[in-house]
Amino acid sequence: MDLGRLRFFLGEVLANFTRNAGMQFTAIGTVAVTIVLLGAFLYVRETIQTFGAGVLSQIEIAVYLKDDVDDAKAKDLASKLARDPRVASASYVPKKDGLKRMKDVLGRDFDTSLLTANPLPNTYKVRVKDPDSVPNVAAWIGKDRRVAKTDYAADTVQKLLKTAGVLGRVGIALILLLSISAAIVISNTIRLTVFARRREIAIMQLVGATNMYIRMPFIAEGMLAGVLGSAVAIGVLALAEHQVVPKLATTLAFVTFRVNETMLCVELLAVGAAVGLIASWLSVGRHLRA
Amino acid sequence: MIRLRGVSLVYPNGTRALDDVDLEIEKGSFVFLVGHSGTGKSSLLKLMYREELPSGGEVYVDNIRVDTLRRGKVPKLRRNIGVVFQDFKLLSHKTVWENVAFALQVTGTRTKDVMRMVPRALDLVGLSHKSRMFPSELSGGEQQRTAIARALVGNPKILLCDEPTGNLDPSNTTEIMELLQRINLKGTTVVVATHNQAVVDRMRRRVVRLEHGRILHDDERGYYFRGLGQTAVLPG
Repeated sequence: MDLGRLRFFLGEVLANFTRNAGMQFTAIGTVAVTIVLLGAFLYVRETIQTFGAGVLSQIEIAVYLKDDVDDAKAKDLASKLARDPRVASASYVPKKDGLKRMKDVLGRDFDTSLLTANPLPNTYKVRVKDPDSVPNVAAWIGKDRRVAKTDYAADTVQKLLKTAGVLGRVGIALILLLSISAAIVISNTIRLTVFARRREIAIMQLVGATNMYIRMPFIAEGMLAGVLGSAVAIGVLALAEHQVVPKLATTLAFVTFRVNETMLCVELLAVGAAVGLIASWLSVGRHLRA
Repeated sequence: MIRLRGVSLVYPNGTRALDDVDLEIEKGSFVFLVGHSGTGKSSLLKLMYREELPSGGEVYVDNIRVDTLRRGKVPKLRRNIGVVFQDFKLLSHKTVWENVAFALQVTGTRTKDVMRMVPRALDLVGLSHKSRMFPSELSGGEQQRTAIARALVGNPKILLCDEPTGNLDPSNTTEIMELLQRINLKGTTVVVATHNQAVVDRMRRRVVRLEHGRILHDDERGYYFRGLGQTAVLPG
């Protein structure tokens, strides 16, 4: 495509876009509202996921060794654990350290003078790379004959994993629903613009323009509406983040608000463009076949 | 150039617009289609540029069978046919130049060629000096000349005109008919559907008269009404 043709095409898109400014505003507004909701949801979801992942990554599996396992045999177990790809780290806590740690934690409430022997077992504290694998890794370690018992915060892990899963599914459903509603509005807008430009379309068909060519400006227009709507939404979201997050961060000090904003912006723009593309493609197609 | 064999056209509401029409139009000829409104003149033209599909029969344009042509091939056919209407069908927000160039631009013509072809078409219809004006600033005749320039800018072999002078006063009508004749002399096949008796009788070209969707008569150098024409032109 030479420069003049490109200029003609862009000129057509822009002229039509501004000519139907009222309708376009409606479309952009609706896309913006949708994308704000979508963006806010994605933001919250990512925050919760980061928070959840933080909690999960700190979950340790406590591996209690049998009393007859000496330090040498314990080292064998250490190397076995270290070889497993799912394991991030395994730190050895001999029973005397365990007792000391307990004293540190409980302080004066804990009277060791009554103890004639150390009742604590030698212990490994195992961290895994993927929080999902905690139950599996625990079960696997539990089968070793040197191990007396494994323990981890089973309930917490399961609940967090379940919550994350539900959130993911709800998120996908919500994204679909919102995208469809935005697509319907864009599609209606494009149908109106198609109607407003039926003379031009008729002439294009008369002089032998291909359907593909006739379709292109409308599709560009739909995508433009989608992208502009997304851009407005991103502006609103940025403002909201600027205003709200610092306040929340003081109340919810344990939550880190660290979201990949660039990625989120790209995602929202892509969703806007895709919604505009699909909506306009379908609505022009219907007109051209008629 | 154009050949219709046993063509009939029945609209979905049951109206029989054309009934077993046979018609052959030679390359480079000038033909009037005449008859009252609703006798099938426009329908006949629409079959030629495949705006309508016949209910029966065959339509050939430039040796291509049009009625069975795949939808995707229609644009190519249309580029070979210029069409002009009673209501001009110009785009009001575009200048004369832009209206004419539009036909080339939307069919993917290179800018270099657009710059070369538009002035030639405007020159042919005598509107070079008004190329920057908008349709609303032009007379009816000038608007129709713009429409003709748009129809011809891509050098089609055929020009179809559906009541081209229907909205024009007598002097503009004469002007347009002279232009169509000039275009025909350059080798373009011209088909004009009209119910303007004066125009037909003055030009003395081939006249195909339709009535109730059938060809009533088909005369070389004919008149609007067979036999009455001579008395009509004698005083002139």
